[in-house]
Amino acid sequence: MNGAAGIVLAGGRSSRMGTSKAALEWHGSTLLRQVTGVLDRAVTGPVIVVRAPEQKLPELDPRVVVRDDPEEGHGPMQGLAVGLDTAHTYADTAFVCSTDLPFLHTAFVHAVLRGFQLDREQGEEAPIDVVLPLVHGYRQPMAAGYRTGLAPLVAQQLRTGRHKPAQLFEECRVRRLTDEELLTDPRLARADPELDSVVNVNTPEDYERARARPAPEVTVERFGVLATRGGTRGSVRVRAATLAAAAEQVGLELDGHIVAAVNGDQIRDDGQCPLLGGDTVSFLSADAGG
Amino acid sequence: MTSPPGGYFGQALLVDVSEGDVRRVPLPDGVLREYLGGAGLGTWLSTELGPAGIDPLDPAAPLSFVFSPLVGTPLTTSAKFAVVAKSPLTGLLTDALASSHFAISGKFTGHDAIVITGRAAGPTHVLISEEGVELVDATPELGLSATAAEEAVREKYGRRWRAASIGVAGERQVRYATMSHDGRHAGRGGLGAVLGAKNVKCVAVQGSRRSELADRAAVLAAAKDLRNRSFGPATAKYRELGTLSNLLAFNAINTLPTRNFQSSTFAEAPALSAEDLAESRSVARSTCASCSIGCEHIYASKSGKKARVEYENVFALGPMCGVSDPDQVLEASARCDELGLDTISAGGTIAWAMECVDRGLLDVPWLRFGDGAALLRVLDEIGERTGIGKLLAQGSRSAAEVVGQGSSAFAPHVKGLEMPGYEPRTMQSMALGLAVNARGADHNRSGAYEADLAGGLDRVHGTDEHVRAAIETEDRAAVMDSLILCKFLRGVFTEPFEEWAGLLGPITGWDITGTELRETAQRIVLAKRAFNLREGWTAADDWLPERFLDDSVELDSGRTATLPAERLRAMIDTYYAERGLDQHGRPQLVQTDSGTEPTP
Ligand code: SF4
Repeated sequence: MNGAAGIVLAGGRSSRMGTSKAALEWHGSTLLRQVTGVLDRAVTGPVIVVRAPEQKLPELDPRVVVRDDPEEGHGPMQGLAVGLDTAHTYADTAFVCSTDLPFLHTAFVHAVLRGFQLDREQGEEAPIDVVLPLVHGYRQPMAAGYRTGLAPLVAQQLRTGRHKPAQLFEECRVRRLTDEELLTDPRLARADPELDSVVNVNTPEDYERARARPAPEVTVERFGVLATRGGTRGSVRVRAATLAAAAEQVGLELDGHIVAAVNGDQIRDDGQCPLLGGDTVSFLSADAGG
Repeated sequence: MTSPPGGYFGQALLVDVSEGDVRRVPLPDGVLREYLGGAGLGTWLSTELGPAGIDPLDPAAPLSFVFSPLVGTPLTTSAKFAVVAKSPLTGLLTDALASSHFAISGKFTGHDAIVITGRAAGPTHVLISEEGVELVDATPELGLSATAAEEAVREKYGRRWRAASIGVAGERQVRYATMSHDGRHAGRGGLGAVLGAKNVKCVAVQGSRRSELADRAAVLAAAKDLRNRSFGPATAKYRELGTLSNLLAFNAINTLPTRNFQSSTFAEAPALSAEDLAESRSVARSTCASCSIGCEHIYASKSGKKARVEYENVFALGPMCGVSDPDQVLEASARCDELGLDTISAGGTIAWAMECVDRGLLDVPWLRFGDGAALLRVLDEIGERTGIGKLLAQGSRSAAEVVGQGSSAFAPHVKGLEMPGYEPRTMQSMALGLAVNARGADHNRSGAYEADLAGGLDRVHGTDEHVRAAIETEDRAAVMDSLILCKFLRGVFTEPFEEWAGLLGPITGWDITGTELRETAQRIVLAKRAFNLREGWTAADDWLPERFLDDSVELDSGRTATLPAERLRAMIDTYYAERGLDQHGRPQLVQTDSGTEPTP
């Protein structure tokens, strides 16, 4: 087993927002769809959403695994235990975050997960349990990497009334990554130099401010008949927050005969797939091969 | 004797070229229904007629030209034939398809298959018509390309003859020599060498005997409908730019094998792209007989040589060998056609040799990645079996066994058949398909890349779902290759098995369903495996070269594509279980009226 999972803890109360954060509109999609979509792009393992009992979630990609938090009110540790336990079958590590990170970038997820490899590269014996970003001096336990094997320890902590992530960190090997350390990753330095990945939205004002930012700028390429027919070859730059929006801007529609790859990775036919600043979107004929 | 089902003659012609003996063997209705035609019926014939354990180049090894119930009907893309034999490259079954009037004329001799055995005393053409079989001297045509030999036969014996021929590579028994007719090649697995070993240069056919159709009006209506559908969006890519339109797309998605799979992108790819070629030089479009799609695109190189251009030959002779000059790639492609070499195996074997030179394992200093002149020179040496060509004419697996020093780890083959242009680490349904397919590393018998490119699965992380998707594409291919219909039509069928049953019913008169055809698919896939088992295949042959399991591919997205051995093992185990094979990948065999058959 190898690879990493993505876990979104969606169960937190959205008391200051006054409405469910998960369902907040985000460029024609929802905030939870955005965050799960970014994780899906970033990890090879499954994406898991842990929700509060009875919590209604907006529509998600059918591949997303949804798990219920058995009890409400124990904070993120309860969801963390469920998420890590679920992920453990598929992956050694997981990137864990909350729903309210509208600018989360795949490059940030990768930079954090790479923290698990450093010990091997530096010849350390014991594995790292948690990779904890310290962004602008603040700890980010809800945008951090956890070893999935920690599930039993988290559960035990909960049983003994230790409900805070900080209490968990006392019991395991934590690698802290400062801004400088994170930004040694050239992709992250290019894609998210201000580390906006950890900007969260707690109030309607936060949300309005975040939503007012323009959609990210991406590069669009078309191949084969999609290029020759349109008469425009080569790449163009457009502002689009989703695949469907990018397609529309170049006069295409993801109609089953056209699919796309983002940054040379997975083939996607899902128009709601989130796009991020600096992405390259390649539209191709779905009947490729032969 | 009862009449055979519609679309069939119910018999195969066996020609022993040693003595000129000819006999007809009946093909029972049950066998036709169970194996259909093309690759399926060819597998049955090879199993029944081929002595177990025979050397593929032995005179007694049969080589079958197999037609199908659809040949001769107006159904689009149906003028196809399969050539089936034990492969000198893999030592296992190989079945290659080609599309041309040879299929129609061959079937109209009154046979569902023509099987050649024996070894003629001297160079020979085999002329087969309704009147009988004639063996004639081929000495004047020795050394000619397949196209020139074909033309010479028609000049001498009449324009109505259609001749499948081998080039020099087939005569010299290069283990990946092709056989071709009218510029269409039965390309993979060295069938040209098998014919060459029989001392046969051309097999020529002519005939006008048509098989019956159970319901002619229904067949005509189905043909009209299929033809209309063949003009729709599902085939646009093939019509407008041909398969070469894959090149830039595959480059963008990290699946364009480059410099012997050392990279999955090729910086110079645009120079070789269909989009660029279509803009910068004249192109002629061509079509196989009875086809309304017409995917063939023929470009001229600077020297004026015409080369058929499709993704696989450009990938194999371009990026795979690091060559980016389109003129040199077009020349190399035309040269392979002249010599009668499979472009994929030639490119793969040469790319492996170039890597050996880079690593100091082979002392051929002129054979370097990116050198188009060296590519042309080595192709000639392979075709003629001179110089380094003697070693490389054996294919990458055998050549790596000779060179040793760890070079097998990067020999790009499965079961001895060189890999097509799909990077398995970034297409893991395809990785499974390549590993388990009976023919070896092959993109036509396992179209699992479809699953990777469709968007539903994470293509860099193979799971049981990928395995099931690969099985589905393998099943579809088994039926399409036996009916036979062109794969490029596949996108027009929404319920393929049911629709194919709907085509077969009015031709044959069978009350056949999609469910039955699914069983047929499974039977054909297992029958190929059973043939291989008999010929010495073991589960160790269902595997990929170490390079793919040891090295990773970094994607621009920041993700890393790895294919650990355990994951491939797990996928193969799932494949065995889903196919009803035992844990060593072996089918269970039972004795039936049709012979020894696998049971699911
Ligand atoms: S689509 Fe292309 S390969 Fe298929 S039958 Fe037509 S011309 Fe031949």
